[in-house]
Amino acid sequence: MLTRQAWSPYLAGVVIGLLQIPAFLLIETALGASSSYVTIGGMFASWIDPSILKIDYVARHVAATGKNWWQVALVVGIAIGAFVSMKLSGAKRAAISPIWQRALGSASPAKRYAVAFVGGFVLLLGARIADGCTSGHGLSGMAQLAVGSTVAVAAMFAGGIATAMLLLRRI
Amino acid sequence: MSVILAIIIGIAMGIVFGFALEKSRVFEPGIIVGQMQLRNFIMLKVFLTAVATGAVVLAVLNGFGYVRLQPKAAAYAADILGGLLLGAGITLAGACPGTTLAQIGAGYRDAFFTLIGGLFGAVAFSYAQPVLAKTFLGQGGPKLIFSNMLGVPYWAGALVLAALIVVTLVALEAWSPWRGEMGKDVDGDLPASPPPGKASMHAQPAE
Repeated sequence: MLTRQAWSPYLAGVVIGLLQIPAFLLIETALGASSSYVTIGGMFASWIDPSILKIDYVARHVAATGKNWWQVALVVGIAIGAFVSMKLSGAKRAAISPIWQRALGSASPAKRYAVAFVGGFVLLLGARIADGCTSGHGLSGMAQLAVGSTVAVAAMFAGGIATAMLLLRRI
Repeated sequence: MSVILAIIIGIAMGIVFGFALEKSRVFEPGIIVGQMQLRNFIMLKVFLTAVATGAVVLAVLNGFGYVRLQPKAAAYAADILGGLLLGAGITLAGACPGTTLAQIGAGYRDAFFTLIGGLFGAVAFSYAQPVLAKTFLGQGGPKLIFSNMLGVPYWAGALVLAALIVVTLVALEAWSPWRGEMGKDVDGDLPASPPPGKASMHAQPAE
């Protein structure tokens, strides 16, 4: 089981959904990922510009609270879990997924890295404007029947599909 | 709870999360971009299954009074504009904020650029936040949930949502089975139909 390359999306989805149990019971919060970028980004930025900590939004996110650092630990754990899973199955990944050559119409790693950087920037800018990402609004917000989260998820798919149709080639 | 304990719990939960993301292949750029090009539905399948499972879990935990719900405020302008940008970012990065870390764990080098771009994006937003808070994007909103609007208990609404999702997934799976969406190297890389000559060579025994 643990050495298999792929699980059914339904099994994996159930496992991810069950993580709401420890999140709500132990941390008294819902699964989320994007706030951690403010915690880490704000901390790095404060080394160069200490005055960023005067912004209440940043101060709240870098504060040494369980919730802030639980989420940072969660995303670090995601990288560890994916790494271990990959090693157990013996799968190997190229530095860049083969789909990008077709999607971008270019085999240049530099072009892919630039697109990834811009993508990451827009990703977190959007997530912070919306106050949540695929995890916070998607997994947790929709499970809680939150109206705003459902609107955010619909916008997320609309933005993603439009971008894929307009900017990327068919993979 | 102490911060240290919260971090230990976070790492443990993250390892399970990352494991499931990796096994489902939903972290693969090929699966995520394929979803946005509406030719691969693994992402929707994992996502909706996790939402339905979360809904059942919370129906029980909240229904029996063990936990309070934590819905985010409904701030429509911010939800829509932020959601559109977030979606554009998912397509260009081939990842969302959580799966970026799974890609790094699995060995995709471009994911480091997504991560760094994401940190810059979060810091840029942080600098802009005091100003944005005074605009239409900063208006808060009520913590609306559908079950309250309909006048039914949350647990009932959550179970109905889970049931609707199950029906949707059964139909989706019948229409496009997940095994056919994985690709040879389980990365969602499904090249368009192979050249006809090549396909027939496989189909016919060599002379």
